[in-house]
Amino acid sequence: MILSASILNVAAYLGAAIATGVASLSAGIGEGQTAGEASFALMRQPKAGDGLLRTMLISQAVTETGAIFGLVVSLLLIFSGLDNPEAGWYRLGTLMAAGLAIGLGSVGPGFGSGYTGAQACKSIGRMPDQQNKITTTMLIGQALAQTDAIFALVVSLLLLYSTPNTPADASVGHIIMRICGYLGAALSIGFGTFGPGIGIGYVAGRSTDMLGRYSAQSSTITRTMFLGAAVSESTAIYALVVSFLLIFI
Amino acid sequence: MEQYIAKAAALLGAGIAMGIGALGPGLGEGFVAGKACEGIARSPEHASLITRTMLIGQAVSESTGIYSLVVALLLIFTT
Repeated sequence: MILSASILNVAAYLGAAIATGVASLSAGIGEGQTAGEASFALMRQPKAGDGLLRTMLISQAVTETGAIFGLVVSLLLIFSGLDNPEAGWYRLGTLMAAGLAIGLGSVGPGFGSGYTGAQACKSIGRMPDQQNKITTTMLIGQALAQTDAIFALVVSLLLLYSTPNTPADASVGHIIMRICGYLGAALSIGFGTFGPGIGIGYVAGRSTDMLGRYSAQSSTITRTMFLGAAVSESTAIYALVVSFLLIFI
Repeated sequence: MEQYIAKAAALLGAGIAMGIGALGPGLGEGFVAGKACEGIARSPEHASLITRTMLIGQAVSESTGIYSLVVALLLIFTT
């Protein structure tokens, strides 16, 4: 079978669809959750309106990051997926895997950041004078959760731009093996960031919620949040290591 | 040809094992830490006890993630 541009197009377009489609799913739900809690908090504290709007918008912007990564990879796949004609059959796997990695990889961080933002808005509704402290902790927590989306983006870009070309003498079996390896790398980091993303978001959400109620304990709460988030992150790092091994070995 | 197909399945399997295997520990450890933050906020005088229990709980929860990592590495390197 001869590799034609239209076969590669199928892979690029499928990858692009998965990248934006799946990545946007959780960002949308997360942002909606934040806006919902912000609206509900307004009912309790109409005077905190400006501050709540600000925190809600910051939180939504951070939650959106994963979806933006997905969009960027989609556009790269659509417009420059066929830039490297020497890449050969391996490209079939890397194009699809690049979309799969960022698409699945953004789901967890999106849900996690959305939950953190929602808890922050709820917390501000309860204690408007603690707003700065709550927003800062929320941003730190969301940044920790979004690290996982950045891992997925790194794997996605590596798959797009740093994979070797197919050797001229590669057998069909060898090509199938490499393609499966690339898809495995995408599944590893894609599903691997699911749990840590949501988990870290939950930690940060509980911390922001508790900061509003017991603001005197802020340093202890933040320390425990960091510790818990770091341990939770470890599984995402395992997934990243396995992805790198699958791409480069 | 056959050994390549077997290796292809092993590589795909390594990705699935590590990916889905990391889902549970990540979620579980996050839940532990979230509840620990809540507990420390409510009774800060027990902070060290709560942190200790949190870390032990997370370590146990982490073990399944390490099982996945071991299986993934075995699939990559020994098949």
